[in-house]
Amino acid sequence: MTDTTSRPSGSDTDIKGPGYRVWFDAPSRTIHFEGVLRLSTSEYKPIEDMLDRVLLESPALGLRMTELAFLNSSGINMLYKFAIAARKKGDTEIKVHGSSTIPWQGKSLPNLKKFLPPIVIALD
Amino acid sequence: MDGIIGEYREPTDAGPRVTLVFYPGAFPVKWNQCSVAADFFAEYFADVGASGLVEEAERRDFVGSVGYVLNELIENAVKFCAGGTVVIDAGVEAGEFVVVVSNQIVGAAVDGLRVKFAELLDGDPAELLMQRVEENAANPELTTSGLGFLTMLSDYKARLGWRFDPAPGNPDNALLKTTARLQVKSP
Repeated sequence: MTDTTSRPSGSDTDIKGPGYRVWFDAPSRTIHFEGVLRLSTSEYKPIEDMLDRVLLESPALGLRMTELAFLNSSGINMLYKFAIAARKKGDTEIKVHGSSTIPWQGKSLPNLKKFLPPIVIALD
Repeated sequence: MDGIIGEYREPTDAGPRVTLVFYPGAFPVKWNQCSVAADFFAEYFADVGASGLVEEAERRDFVGSVGYVLNELIENAVKFCAGGTVVIDAGVEAGEFVVVVSNQIVGAAVDGLRVKFAELLDGDPAELLMQRVEENAANPELTTSGLGFLTMLSDYKARLGWRFDPAPGNPDNALLKTTARLQVKSP
């Protein structure tokens, strides 16, 4: 018996839920990930859809993770799948900004390169 | 139904130890409560003397690693719990964080899990992780990512083990105990 409802709200480029926010800043073409993302696989769907949509519109994209303290394995799955989608699309310029003081980022972000070799990963 | 896969270890009273029991039958566990419970253990054990964490960077790494691994284990236990309790039993001894998370699963799932766990430990976790993500990308209808144990092994160098026992009072279920060990100070 699991209650996995966390009721995201906001627009389709600004997704908010308890303890997290994921939003797209169109002028800087950057997706900001903030807070703690420990959702179930199906709960990531709105964020996944936003990533897919934004990737279609803008081949040059930044992902800002410096405010994302935790990401569970379902969220890591979403991120790696995004990298695969970008690889399949081709001609993308994606840069990830992370922080070396957030442990999961040093451990799991470098794997993005295996799925999308040209991706740039900058850990402050 | 009995059996151990991998390195199975339980915490002992030789060091600081905490046990937490959820009774989900009476009070369904919400997903974000997995996160709260994981963070409690991470913060608690970061501050026990036996952990010997002095440097801020070491402490941060410990809290991040224990929080990640435990959150994954508790999410699994809550997701696959087939009745009974979910028990988290953790301790620090000899430079290691040791945790056992126990929950009942349906008996019919045991054989499949046995094969899956053995495969996880036999292969190269980084390689298996790559394969699994490619499969997930090719099959968007999948509702589980299957990356929990693989990231623990590949990115956190966790040592994992599993034990199957008969479930007390329910012949249709099995009691699954999952253990993970992490170096308190990552090498």
